Amino acid sequence: MSDIDTFEEEEFQTRFSGKVFRRIMGLLKPHWKTVVGFLITIAVVSALDSVFTYLTKQVFDLAIVPKDLGMLRRIAIQYGSLLVIQAAMVFLFIYMVALLGERIRYDLRQKMFNHLQDLSLSYYSRTPVGWIMSRVTSDSERVADLMTWGLLDSTWAVVNIITAMAFMFVINWQLALIVLGILPFLLWIAIEFRKRILKQFRDVRKYNSKITGSYNENITGVRVVKALGREKENLREFSGLTGEMYRAGYRAAWLSALFLPSVQMISAVAIGAVVWYTGAQNGLLGMTIGSVHAFVSYITFMMWPIQDLARVFAEIQHAIASAERIFSLVDAVPDVVDRPQAIDPGSIHGDIEFDHVYFSYEDEKPVLSDFTLKIRRGETIALVGPTGGGKSTIVNLMCRFYEPKKGVIRIGGQDYTGLSLHAIQSRIGMVLQTPYLFSGTIRDNIRYGRLNATNEEVEAAARLAGAEVFIKNLEKGYDEPVGEGGNLLSVGQKQLISLARAVLARPEIFIMDEATSSVDTLTEALIQKGMEKLMEGRTSFIIAHRLSTIKRADRILVIEDGSIAEIGTHSELLRQRGKYYKLYTKQFRHEMSQALNPFDVDEKSNGHKKAGDDLLPALGD
Amino acid sequence: MSDRTLPDYDLQKAVHKNNVIGLWRLMTGFRLTYLGATLALGISALSKTGTYMLLRYFVDGYFGSDGATSLPVIYIALGFIGLAGLEGGFTFLSGRLAARTSEGITRRLRNYLFDHIQHLTFTYHSGMQTGELIQRCTSDVDAIRRFFAEQAIGMGRIILLFIVNFTALMLLNVRLALFSIVLIPIIVVVSVIMFKKMSKIYEQYQEQDAVLSTILQENLSGVRVVKAFARQEYEKNKFERDNMEKYLRGKRLMFINALFWPGSDLICGAQMMIGYVMGAMMAIRGEITPGTFLAYMGLIVWIIFPMRNLGRLIVHLSTGQVSFGRVTEIIKQTREPLDQGRTFDQPVRGEIRFENVEFAYEKDCPVLSEISFTVKPGQVVALLGSTGSGKTSLVNLLPRFYDYTAGRVYLDGVELNSIARRYLRQQIGIVEQEPFLFSRSIRENITYGVGREVSQAEVETAARAAAVHDVICTFPEGYKTLVGERGVTLSGGQKQRVAIARALLKNPRILILDDSTSSVDTETEAEIREALQTLMRERTTFIIAHRIQSIMDADLVLVMDGGKIVQKGTHETLMREENGMYRKIFEIQTRIEDELEKEIAGVGH
Repeated sequence: MSDIDTFEEEEFQTRFSGKVFRRIMGLLKPHWKTVVGFLITIAVVSALDSVFTYLTKQVFDLAIVPKDLGMLRRIAIQYGSLLVIQAAMVFLFIYMVALLGERIRYDLRQKMFNHLQDLSLSYYSRTPVGWIMSRVTSDSERVADLMTWGLLDSTWAVVNIITAMAFMFVINWQLALIVLGILPFLLWIAIEFRKRILKQFRDVRKYNSKITGSYNENITGVRVVKALGREKENLREFSGLTGEMYRAGYRAAWLSALFLPSVQMISAVAIGAVVWYTGAQNGLLGMTIGSVHAFVSYITFMMWPIQDLARVFAEIQHAIASAERIFSLVDAVPDVVDRPQAIDPGSIHGDIEFDHVYFSYEDEKPVLSDFTLKIRRGETIALVGPTGGGKSTIVNLMCRFYEPKKGVIRIGGQDYTGLSLHAIQSRIGMVLQTPYLFSGTIRDNIRYGRLNATNEEVEAAARLAGAEVFIKNLEKGYDEPVGEGGNLLSVGQKQLISLARAVLARPEIFIMDEATSSVDTLTEALIQKGMEKLMEGRTSFIIAHRLSTIKRADRILVIEDGSIAEIGTHSELLRQRGKYYKLYTKQFRHEMSQALNPFDVDEKSNGHKKAGDDLLPALGD
Repeated sequence: MSDRTLPDYDLQKAVHKNNVIGLWRLMTGFRLTYLGATLALGISALSKTGTYMLLRYFVDGYFGSDGATSLPVIYIALGFIGLAGLEGGFTFLSGRLAARTSEGITRRLRNYLFDHIQHLTFTYHSGMQTGELIQRCTSDVDAIRRFFAEQAIGMGRIILLFIVNFTALMLLNVRLALFSIVLIPIIVVVSVIMFKKMSKIYEQYQEQDAVLSTILQENLSGVRVVKAFARQEYEKNKFERDNMEKYLRGKRLMFINALFWPGSDLICGAQMMIGYVMGAMMAIRGEITPGTFLAYMGLIVWIIFPMRNLGRLIVHLSTGQVSFGRVTEIIKQTREPLDQGRTFDQPVRGEIRFENVEFAYEKDCPVLSEISFTVKPGQVVALLGSTGSGKTSLVNLLPRFYDYTAGRVYLDGVELNSIARRYLRQQIGIVEQEPFLFSRSIRENITYGVGREVSQAEVETAARAAAVHDVICTFPEGYKTLVGERGVTLSGGQKQRVAIARALLKNPRILILDDSTSSVDTETEAEIREALQTLMRERTTFIIAHRIQSIMDADLVLVMDGGKIVQKGTHETLMREENGMYRKIFEIQTRIEDELEKEIAGVGH
């Protein structure tokens, strides 16, 4: 919730676009029966409002002045039955329009969500999550509101104004002309007001999200604030911000407060004109008491339809801008899609070949150039090298999150673009550097790997991945909730769960991006074991950071500047005394100082198998 | 519209068990303005009533049987406009005054909360979720704003409208007036009940909205997982389920709305009918004039229809009070006094002596005990120990983030707990393992907390000494580049070096360092170490040590375990202790070095 609040909405200055508007209205097509239904009911409700005023005129002219009780009874019965009819109509239109609104919201959200699932990773890398969230949440609301309540309110307003004008013309055409003359002016004033008010409220929202951001930073960074004694300065800055907020809020409030009185004032001028004109003419223009009452009522209550119309007009532009953004999302074309004749061969367990592959993200400088590599089935490949060298790109291409710009990737001798995406991706098990879990229980998260797995299979996978020990120690075991994004668990635990998830998926290709962040040594050892299990008999790509992992690989690739700088086994590369040698000794010293972490010593002194007993033999063999 | 200073009021005085009294106190300094807003509303209601009275006068005068016209029609016409002007003017005035009150109270509250929170103790902060605090400072504060801006004044408006119009009705005709309100209690009761129910259903709807947002957010953040397991269809179905649930809840909410509005329309309509028929009959019988009936028809609308909003306001008034209660929870916490205690004209020298110090977060559960050692000015103390051994707790005592619970700490011979926190913290610089940077420009982050104007040259000198200048120059806007989501994302090492530059500019006498680095890149490690060396020069330094170098160079090494110092000395003296923990650490190191050589030799040349 607060995430959306803090996401500052960009300003947009789109002009009214007929094309977009037609497309929005096109969304109503499947629901045209409901639309017609609520338009008719609202028109009836609106017209009845004018009829009621006319009926009260009749009370004066036909019952009170001629002192006719019978007529009063007749009018009262008419009035009463119309009230009941109107109430029934009100029920119908609220129900229809609200239901339609919910339905359209539902449709828009689902449509966007479904489309998002099909979009390629490249879309996500250039679109912030907050932006997408706003489209699915607030923009869909705004568009649905325009299509339902906006349409309803404007229909009500137009019908109301027209019927009221009609009755006025019937009663007295000269006076009706006066009112008609004032009407456009009234509408114009109202719309101008609304636009300004809307703008003020946007400012208020903008400052509001800034204030939220300030609170957030000052609370999360409170240690720094205190340590550096920034309290006074921070308050001064914040007070400046709340000052802006105060002015925006105050202005929005008094503009709103000025709106109705201004409209009322113009109405009063109209009433005054009617009174004066009537009274100044001989024979009072044939006006009766009832007619005067009707005119005063019509003019007084005209304020409401005018206000509604103004609101819809002011908001229509923003709603259209919202719709445009929604359409831009829905129209985004996935970069990677199944080819027309894509097949699922039933297995992708074969040799893999990168054949002169070129790749770049978004027309930037090439990340991979002329990359060629043959991997035998079952082989374990360790990718090492500096950040930005292209390791992740190789993995992304392997998963077909992206496709080569030039060159071919073959699986079992076949160009992998001839296979369906599902055929490839459902047979790859992946563990990310920053493991991601979904809220739910641990069991749910492991089962994500294979949805129809039994509880026994889930637990077997956890055991194999080395995750069981810590799961069993949790209060609810496998049914322990992991929190949003898995945040209730430590990074190491999340990684164990995602390993178990990959184990359960029984992948044919295993891909792992090792975590760089420190994980306590016990968990680290468990993760290592889990990985080993997963790599058995599978073609594996490991973006490796730990020596033990690197050494275990069949081949090590040092990737630098988008190409293979060195390739070979651990001993071969060490002998070369090149880049790998440097990297290795550096990393060795790093892990050494990690091993020097007193924590390990503590563990050891408590009789645990630790650094000295565990890590070193592993390095030695 | 001027930025006038807010009325001064210590909001801690507003805290009261009874939220109504609390809200009343919160209005201190704004009560007259708010009273003015209410009075203006009253005048505006009177003018409205006046309009109907004038209408009665006009109709009876010009259309009445006696035809006794007293005033020329032009005056009556102007009267209408004048009354409308009065009504509109005062409505506007009331809105303005109410806005000034509500926005003013809110601004004062926001500022107070902001300042209050940054003055609260770490004990409070560590026990409180950030999201929860923010929620209270934003949503709850806004609920309080609405209380003053809409609900309290809205209630006032309805009550005033009722009083003024009902009095007018009573003056017109007592019997008719009484008949006009027979159904009012029903309208109020029904609206209260319905709005209670509606707000409950609305909450459920909002809850589902939050659920849906979470699912979406997780799906977007975890998009790689979704794709890696080809779970698109599963995700679509999952979203569809909760999307449908929201639809269904929305449907329920709308159904009750669809029932309430026409239902209350009917009750209000019935009440109007009763009044109309009664009035018309009286007019026919000649008990009241047609003009009176006309005025009556106008007035009754302003009594009946506002009443059904009363339910909404009553329900919302209670949410305002609940919000106020949640905000007072924060306000009533006591601040950490920054300036209480001794200060000195010159900077401290940095001699520190711990004597049998004990510290506990909770009673009888000490995390530090029997801590005794002495550091001379400019010396380096290295703290060694496992997570939870008490290293961080120990250094947290120095800037008085927490106060020790027993024993004594002396800084330059002065008891630490007697020194003012602000002064003390000015003397201490802290560089954390993963320092927190603010989403401001790099320059602002470096000068953050220096508390004086700093020239660009000075900033750059500090950045150079911290070995981060070159990195900053590669950023698109150099020192003006924003840190964080809207700008550049810095690596752990880079953040640490910015923090070092910050500490260099602050030029403290005492330094607390966490020298570990999460970065694997050993080249930056060397740079950081060099930067740290520059920083430590001539300052008393406490290092939470993860590296051999910092331990070997230390004047004093404290090996900690279970909140106690188990070994104390320099590298040399500690190495001489045969079975000490410290020595074991170094034995492992040499073993690793041997292993590395063996390893490389093993693969041949």
